[in-house]
Amino acid sequence: MDKQQEIARLEALAYDLRKKLLYLCGTYGGPVHIGGDLSAADLLIALYHYGMNVDPNNIMNPARDRFILSKGHGAVCMYIAMALRGFFDYDEICATYGKLDSAFGMHPCKVHLPGVETSSGSLGHGLSIAVGMALSAKQKGQKHRVFCLMGDGETCEGSIWEAAMAASSYKLGNLVGIVDRNGQLMTSYTEDFIHLEPYADKWKAFGWNEIELDGHNMAEIVAALDSLPAPDSEQPTVLIAHTIKGKGVSFMERDIGWHAGALSEEDLERALKDLEATYGKSGVENNGRNL
Amino acid sequence: MGVTFNFGQFFLSGRTVIGDTLHEIGLKNDKLWVLTPDTGAALKAFKRDCGDRFVDVGIAEQNVVGIAAGLALEGNIPVIMGMIPFMTMRACEQVRTDVCYQNLPVRIIGTGGGLTSEGGSTHNAMEDIALMSSLVNMTVISIGDPNMIRDILWASMKYPGPMFIRLAQGKKDRVIYEEGTMKYEIGKGIIAKEGKDVIIFAHGEMVFQALEAAFRLEAEGISVGVIDMFTIKPLDKELVLRAVEETGRIVVLEDHLMYGGLATAISDLLIDRAVYPKAFRRLGIPQVYAGFGTGEELRAKYGYDTEATVRAVREVLEK
Repeated sequence: MDKQQEIARLEALAYDLRKKLLYLCGTYGGPVHIGGDLSAADLLIALYHYGMNVDPNNIMNPARDRFILSKGHGAVCMYIAMALRGFFDYDEICATYGKLDSAFGMHPCKVHLPGVETSSGSLGHGLSIAVGMALSAKQKGQKHRVFCLMGDGETCEGSIWEAAMAASSYKLGNLVGIVDRNGQLMTSYTEDFIHLEPYADKWKAFGWNEIELDGHNMAEIVAALDSLPAPDSEQPTVLIAHTIKGKGVSFMERDIGWHAGALSEEDLERALKDLEATYGKSGVENNGRNL
Repeated sequence: MGVTFNFGQFFLSGRTVIGDTLHEIGLKNDKLWVLTPDTGAALKAFKRDCGDRFVDVGIAEQNVVGIAAGLALEGNIPVIMGMIPFMTMRACEQVRTDVCYQNLPVRIIGTGGGLTSEGGSTHNAMEDIALMSSLVNMTVISIGDPNMIRDILWASMKYPGPMFIRLAQGKKDRVIYEEGTMKYEIGKGIIAKEGKDVIIFAHGEMVFQALEAAFRLEAEGISVGVIDMFTIKPLDKELVLRAVEETGRIVVLEDHLMYGGLATAISDLLIDRAVYPKAFRRLGIPQVYAGFGTGEELRAKYGYDTEATVRAVREVLEK
């Protein structure tokens, strides 16, 4: 498959993921973290369907790439991206999400859901765990990578920067941080109170190889994943993916009210129409840069 | 077996025993990783011979616990050596959510238990047992005799789930038991001294003090038993119930807040089982930030030194 076809395939998957997310958000009956799900959707599709070496039929393969969802509230987006890859059953996710004894909860739980590498949900924890996994791989001479998807808001947590320092100090070229830089926290925009900018410079100052990209442009995401240094190189890489919270649904995009929520039947219809207008025709949308 | 005839005369650095033991284990078991947030002075041998499994993260307790969780998820057995207040409070949420929630075999060895740090209330550790005992899946251990550390660390390599191991200063610890005569089993208390009239339960450095008080009272014809409850969680319930049944008079002595530690664990058990001792006294740190001084001075000031222990035993005998 040539690159263009591959990108078109991934775009179609991301469209499907968004539709499935919205459907769940309209039927679950409780709040879903839909804003941050939609900002991370393209990244998660690119990781699970292109960039990472994972096998739904051999989930404990020692050679697999490891993925940590540090922004654990994006769990349902990860579940569905994984379901589209064959890890889980989408209908089961929809039928049981958030219900008693379900493996599919608001935040990923490794104990209940094999295939998830670690439980997460408390923000700022994932990168340290990823450093531990990357150290182990390096010491054992394993060739896989460890990917860690963070929200930009959670990088207010000091522990992220403790981990960032350790990762470059221990020369973890097998570690890839990805920041979903959607510019929003739960109740404000990232530069309203606490300034993350100059953001890329911060990561560089902490010793990371840094790549900025449009996190909704599949060609750019694929190019960034293709350009990752070899796992046995000596510098961790961070992908700063500029994204839009609520991406694809006009009334959700950059709206503080849509950090989490449930869609009424009418809103669901409206949202699906929005998606179709954006993704249904050209399949490519190119204005997601958030600089 | 039991208390050494040289009782209280020999000292050993607990930290040295930790360093030696981790080195011994590390040479034989390549699953062992040793991590520290800048408190690894005793770990030189391990670092020298197992350097690719040694991690010093600088002064960053949250990070060291997260990294340990990541290592454990990959099948390794990480041991963290740090200072108790920072491991159990700064990194409390990482210990709970990254380690205990996932039931990972991370071992946290902390020094500076109770009021022994000599650093004041920032560095004292009076809440750690309460905090760590409240975490689901966590095993909580408090060691007095420095030689015990070797056996516990070896045993910990095969013990499931997370573990917190508390030491006092770990610099000049009193040898209590005759070396090589003891078998330590996690979850089983040690009868350090038999006694018929009163039983003192203690852990960590306070076992020595309890024995000191017991021998003094023995000379007056009062028979005082001492139980070294080095595993606080899971509690050796049978041993507690047997002791209460046999003497009915209990003193609990610990270098920790009086409420939330071993005394609370014991009293909870007794209430749950509707077993009511004739007398029950707890000795430990009251609701204060203790300030400066040596451990011995502070224990005297706050009423749980050897003198206070002797007094407490006399009082429960009158009930």
